Amino acid sequence: MEFLSYLSPMFFTLIAAGALIGVIFGAIPGMTATMAVAVCLPLTYALDLTNGLALLLGLYVGGISGGMVPAVLLNIPGTPSSITTTFDGYPMAKKGEGERALKISIVASLFGGLFSAGVLFYFAPVLADFAIKFSYVEKFLIIFLALTVIASLTKNMLMGIFSGVLGVWLSLIGTYEITDGGNGETRLMFDFMEYYLVAGFSLLPVLIGIFGITTILQDAEKGFKGDAASPTIKLTKGSRFSFSVFKGQLVNLVRSSSIGTFVGMLPGVGGSAASVLAYTQEKNFSRDSSQMGNGAPQGLVASESSNNALTGGALVPLLSLGIPGDSTTAILIGAFTLQGIQVGPLFIGDNLDTWYIMIAALVIANFLMFGIMFFAIKYIAKVIEVPKHLLYPIIVMMCVVGAYAINYGIMFDVWTLLIFGVFGYIATKVGLELVPLIIGFILGSSAEVYFVKSLESYGNLTIFFTKSPIAVFLWCLIVLSLAFSIFLKVRARKKESFASYS
Amino acid sequence: MKLMTTPLRKLVCAVAIAGTAGVSMTSHAQEDCPVPGNLRVVIGSTSTGGDTYQNSSIVADHLAKKLDINAKVDAVGAMAGFRALDRSRNGNTVMIFHDQAYLGNLYGVKGYDNIFEKYTVGPTVAINPGNAYLVPKDSPYQNIDEVIAAAGEGEEIRVAIQPGGVSEIGFSALKNAVKLKHPGMEKNVVAVNTGSQADKNQLLFDDMADVINGSVQANEQYTRLPEDDQKAMRFVWLTARNDTIKQTNEEGMGKTTREDLLQYVNPNVTVPQSESQNFTFDKEFFFLYNKDMDPKLVSCIDNALEEIYAQGDIQEQQKKSFFIPNFKPSSEAQAYLKDKRDQYATIIENIQ
Repeated sequence: MEFLSYLSPMFFTLIAAGALIGVIFGAIPGMTATMAVAVCLPLTYALDLTNGLALLLGLYVGGISGGMVPAVLLNIPGTPSSITTTFDGYPMAKKGEGERALKISIVASLFGGLFSAGVLFYFAPVLADFAIKFSYVEKFLIIFLALTVIASLTKNMLMGIFSGVLGVWLSLIGTYEITDGGNGETRLMFDFMEYYLVAGFSLLPVLIGIFGITTILQDAEKGFKGDAASPTIKLTKGSRFSFSVFKGQLVNLVRSSSIGTFVGMLPGVGGSAASVLAYTQEKNFSRDSSQMGNGAPQGLVASESSNNALTGGALVPLLSLGIPGDSTTAILIGAFTLQGIQVGPLFIGDNLDTWYIMIAALVIANFLMFGIMFFAIKYIAKVIEVPKHLLYPIIVMMCVVGAYAINYGIMFDVWTLLIFGVFGYIATKVGLELVPLIIGFILGSSAEVYFVKSLESYGNLTIFFTKSPIAVFLWCLIVLSLAFSIFLKVRARKKESFASYS
Repeated sequence: MKLMTTPLRKLVCAVAIAGTAGVSMTSHAQEDCPVPGNLRVVIGSTSTGGDTYQNSSIVADHLAKKLDINAKVDAVGAMAGFRALDRSRNGNTVMIFHDQAYLGNLYGVKGYDNIFEKYTVGPTVAINPGNAYLVPKDSPYQNIDEVIAAAGEGEEIRVAIQPGGVSEIGFSALKNAVKLKHPGMEKNVVAVNTGSQADKNQLLFDDMADVINGSVQANEQYTRLPEDDQKAMRFVWLTARNDTIKQTNEEGMGKTTREDLLQYVNPNVTVPQSESQNFTFDKEFFFLYNKDMDPKLVSCIDNALEEIYAQGDIQEQQKKSFFIPNFKPSSEAQAYLKDKRDQYATIIENIQ
């Protein structure tokens, strides 16, 4: 228990400061937890390892959690892993239940964060050994499983699948890197585009463009005269938050947190896959998922508990293998190496005090994030009461700043924001579905890399079915997921026709 | 009305003269060293957890203190870094990168131009001595000689690398060594192209590679795992020069001491580059500037770094982070790196 002596007031202050700054970064569209940690990393040079970790873990937890705010209130995911939060959060906000939606999200986030910290503490080395059993084949199948979400989230199956494929196609634009099994040449573009698109479209500007700018353009089309000039949503209109909303949600919380922790453990799979998978599993396996997508708390619970569970999950390979689970934990390695500490398979045994400090910091960061957000949320939620003609220019400005900053000042990212904003607006007019499109965009390039690498390594297609028992299990999940999606669609259609008949 | 008393007038005159002298001295200093107040240091890596960022931060911090400026390291990656450099004629942006800058060009990677023609190569600042090759702990190959001999006897040796740069040059040298010792058998050394260190390790765990490129920093703990652990590895070769490893701290990295590390470099390990020479490769970090940048600024940074290295604090910090301090002023660095590039160009040509 020697590590307790390290927990000074400074330690707690830095976690709180980190959580607060992280929440602000996460809440600004285009700013992410990764960026918050990267920006503050140089500050840790002046701190010792304990205090440096306190600040960085606070930022990490705060940054991941903050993404829920614009997702719920503005329909713009603050971080890629909050996409699914928009599905039910924004409809709730439109019904005047923004504060309630945010409080549900915060509680779910706390649960997910603590769950993953517990898993990290008790099972990290065992899970790391399990994670290395996931080769290219299994990673491809996980991403493929996440892509099946498209089937359950579409309004029109054919259009949804087409939109998803279009998203995958857009994600492949850029250089087909030799490391990814390609030829090192640019593809899917004209020569004059090469200068701008050599690295393809950046994810966050695309995400903010499609969600944020498209929404603003759609509202602009309606005009801001008369009633539209003043807020139409009142926070008091909807029902109030109560913990009773979590009654019957334990399975959802545990399942989604497990999915988040597990996906976080797999380097290269990406956090967005976690929330998408958790959301789909809740949609497919819950008793009643008919309201999901229209403002159901269970959707928020699935999304937010899974994306906060990523934090502990991504630390599993970092602390047990020396391999970062995501882009944010990759920066944490910098903090360790700067202090002369190696991360690798012997890290925990060699640095027990640091290990305990990290777990303590992670748990405390989750509680402080909860404290900061739960009590500040009634003020934050008032954003939605700001008249749109005042609110939207500010959002556009934040989106532009975020897009410009995401890759340290690339102007083309701002153009990407605009291009995809206009594209999203036109796409909805012609009946394309934006959610499958963006999911295809996020998962497409990883799916391709792991598919090609699997073929490159094993040389035949049958390996996808025969590689390991894990692969067979994942195929079962894929089939079940597709079957449930089709079953739910058929049942909904029958209900509709029965209702119209009666 | 007398506005000032005599003593006061004298004081004002003295301050004015001192001020003017100060201004003229400052502008003189500014003329000699036209360094911008805010210096952007872009690096060729997008990672803020890697060696390029770490070393660049150390150098940028010392430079900022020495020149009394703000210096900020941005991990923009190679392509964006080169572009930022292309735009910065006034020297507001400089780049710190390593041998990848010219190896990318030698390997024909898109976006990598000849840095010796397109940019001004600045001073070298440090070496990362950790570039390593590893095998599974239960591998039949005990050392790199056995790997070369096996390839010579017709066995296929799969080497996991990240193509197009630092990771590939050791692979090329290995292939070249097999060609020198067993002509015609170099085809048995096969590259398994992949990206991150995690991917390379995974290939070893999955038995999809016989040898992987790694680093002392990232893989040392894996070498301490028991043999029955699926993740256990062994170093077989460090590409650094013997002299470079000798400069590391005695305690080495983790529980692998400097003495242990010396087992994996020349003369204990030999990878022939030609009839008379062994191959070595030190991953060196150096500055790159826009070709049109004021030469005065180039020498200003040279001079500042010379003073910083003469002072000695930076060496301590770099060594603590497992870097070997290696300051060479611009002109010396240019000739040295050009020669290094030419040697590696010959190896790459040999195996094509």
